[in-house]
Amino acid sequence: MNDILKMVIVLGSICTVAGLGLAGVQSVTKEPIEYQQIKFIKEPSVKAVLAGFENDPIKDRFNLPAGKDKKGRDVFQTVFPAKKGGQVIAMALDGSGKGFNGDIQVMIGIKPSGELTGISIMKHSETPGIGSRVTEAKFTDQFKKATVDNPTAVDGVSGASYSTKGVFAAVTNAVNFFKNNKQQILAQAGK
Amino acid sequence: MGLAKEFTKGFWDELPPFRLVLGLCPTLAVTTAAKNGIGMGLATTFVLACSNVLVSLLRNIIPGKVRIAAFIVIIASFVVMVELMMQAYFYPLYQVLGIFIPLIVVNCIILGRAEAFASKKGVLPSLMDGLGIGLGFTLALGFLGSARELLGGGTVFGYEVFWSSFQPMAFLLKPPGAFVCLGLILGLMNIVSRR
Repeated sequence: MNDILKMVIVLGSICTVAGLGLAGVQSVTKEPIEYQQIKFIKEPSVKAVLAGFENDPIKDRFNLPAGKDKKGRDVFQTVFPAKKGGQVIAMALDGSGKGFNGDIQVMIGIKPSGELTGISIMKHSETPGIGSRVTEAKFTDQFKKATVDNPTAVDGVSGASYSTKGVFAAVTNAVNFFKNNKQQILAQAGK
Repeated sequence: MGLAKEFTKGFWDELPPFRLVLGLCPTLAVTTAAKNGIGMGLATTFVLACSNVLVSLLRNIIPGKVRIAAFIVIIASFVVMVELMMQAYFYPLYQVLGIFIPLIVVNCIILGRAEAFASKKGVLPSLMDGLGIGLGFTLALGFLGSARELLGGGTVFGYEVFWSSFQPMAFLLKPPGAFVCLGLILGLMNIVSRR
């Protein structure tokens, strides 16, 4: 009996200490991990759609509430502002839309005036060689001429209508969020 | 055996992947480039040294019947720590090593050292043993990684070293190439040590 008790106590206390230690490490590394994930997954896209900024859009990012999902949890939209001389010159928002094969995640750059500065596909699983052509500059560069009033007035990729629609949906999502929350976004970004 | 001997034995006599032929899963899987091999090796060294010290400290408290469970909890905690730290500060390396970081838990070098060495010896020899074996493992992985990277991709640490017409043997970067390289190194080491 004594033996079992000793085993339980020793193993139990080792587990407790390990758990506490890990909780500590986890809370310390939580923020850097979030920053790194954004930096390595979203930053290339943010840099691709924004130009001429002097701040660090990743560091200056902020979240705004964007309604609720199906399970009733709050959803947040992250905005990456680009500033030059303290002025907001553009901002990047991400949106996602259903493609042929899962969600397509797109980063969209918008100027405060409502012109688009470009889009960049962050993540997709479209068919290589067919749907994946939506990531090519020939398609994405067209958005540089678009505005928030009619963001998807561009030529689609022929043979890849589902993928094109997915990108359009993603762009429309982000643009709608921008239009509906313009005042709030500009106020937050200007801080 | 002196402390220095405990430290240096990991570099030749008990060099983990080549002499003990332990820890082959990461040895074969992540050594597609010198940098990956060394990153993996250093992560393992950290876990090995820390778990050896802790196991050695607790060796008189842990009852024999639950020692393996206790060792695994200790090792797993350090591995999760390494994983979180790597995610927080070396994200690109974490993306490459991916699943092989959590798999350090079941790396038999670490449990083997805890069971065979740290649970019987004092703290200082255990620390030296952990550092020595770990650094030996790092060097072995770095060596295998640079050999494969050099012949399979024509680069070392990402830098081009060959003339432009050099055709790298991409086969060596694939899993079978890892076995071929490992076999050649084992053979060479046997020749050298038989002399």
